[in-house]
Amino acid sequence: MIFVAILIGCILGAILGMNAPMISYTYSSYLAIAIIAALDSVFGGIASVIKKNFDLKIFISGFFGNAILAILLTILGQKLNVDIYLAAIVVFVWRMFMNLGTIRRYYVEKWTDKIKEKAHSKEVADKKE
Amino acid sequence: MKKGIKKGKITMTITIGIACFALVTVMMMQFKIVNETDITSIENMQEAELKTELANWKSKYDDINAKYEDTKSKIEEYKNDEQSSNESSKLLDDELNQTNKILGLTDVQGEGIVLTLQSGKDLTPINADDLLTIVNSLKFAGAEAISINDQRIVSTTDITYINNQFVKVNGQRILEPYVIKAIGNQSYLESALKGNGGWAEELQAIGHTVTIEKDDKLTINKYNGEIETKYIQ
Repeated sequence: MIFVAILIGCILGAILGMNAPMISYTYSSYLAIAIIAALDSVFGGIASVIKKNFDLKIFISGFFGNAILAILLTILGQKLNVDIYLAAIVVFVWRMFMNLGTIRRYYVEKWTDKIKEKAHSKEVADKKE
Repeated sequence: MKKGIKKGKITMTITIGIACFALVTVMMMQFKIVNETDITSIENMQEAELKTELANWKSKYDDINAKYEDTKSKIEEYKNDEQSSNESSKLLDDELNQTNKILGLTDVQGEGIVLTLQSGKDLTPINADDLLTIVNSLKFAGAEAISINDQRIVSTTDITYINNQFVKVNGQRILEPYVIKAIGNQSYLESALKGNGGWAEELQAIGHTVTIEKDDKLTINKYNGEIETKYIQ
C-alpha cells in the first residue's frame, strides 16, 4: 500500500515538474540541496514505517525543516565563502544509506523467512506422508 | 484499536505520497534547469571560473585600452610635429622667397621708371662708366631692382667695357639703346637722375637722347646666370 502511494506521488510529481516554469540558474544550487534533504526525509519516513515508529509530526517537520536548514546553510556558506553544502550533502547521503540499509535488511529478512517457512511446511508435509 | 491503527496507516501513506510528490516535482524542475543550462557553457561554469574568466578579460581590456591611449597620444604628437614642421617649412619658404627677391633670382614687379639712353651722333658713345654712375645713382635713390637691357643687376654684376667700345653687363655684351629699368619710389628715382648734377641730365646736355618713363606695373626679369661660390668658405 505504501509503495502504491509512493508510485502515484512520483508520477504526479513528475508530470507537474515537467510543466512547472523554469527557475533561474542562480537558485538551482539551493534547490539541489533541498532535494537531497527531502530525499533523505522520505527514506527516513519509509524506514520508520518499516520500524513501526512512524510519527507524522516528526516526518513533516523533518521534511521541511531539513530542506530549509540545508538551504540556509548553503546561503550562509556562500556568504562566508565556505562550501558548507558539502557537509550537508555528506550528512544527508550518509543517513540515506543508513535508512536504505534498514529498509533492505527488513525486506531481505522477510524474504528469507518466507523461504524458510516454505521449506519447513514442505518438510512437515513430507513427514506427514 | 484496530481502526485507529488503520487510520494512522492511511495518514502515513498519504503523507509519504505527498512528500514524494513534492520531492519529485522539485527534482524534475531541477533536472530541467540543469538540462537547459547544459546547452550554453557559460551558464554551466562555476562562479569561480566565471570570475577568473572575467578577470582575464578585464586585464586584456585594460591592456588594450592602455595601448590605444598610447597610440592615440603618439598620433597626437606626430600631428603636432607635422604642424610645426609645416609652419617652419612655410617660414623657410617665405625667407627663401624674400632672399631670392633681394638677390634678384626672381621676376619682380612694382612701380618704377624706365630710362632709355641713345647716344647722340658724332659724339663719344655712352660708355660703361656712364651706366655705372646711373646705376649707382639709382641705388642711392633706393632702387630695389635694376636691370640694363634685361640684364638684372645683382651683387656679382659687372658693368665694364672692352676697348672702350663694347659695353658688357653680367659678362654679356649689350647694345644701344640702353634701357635701364628700376623699381622704387618713382619721384626719388627720377630726381636722382635729373636735376642738380643728375647724370641723365648731364648726358642729355651733351647731346645724347635720354627719355624717362614712369611705369606703375614695371616688371624686371630675374637674373639668368648662376651665382657660384668657389672661394667663399
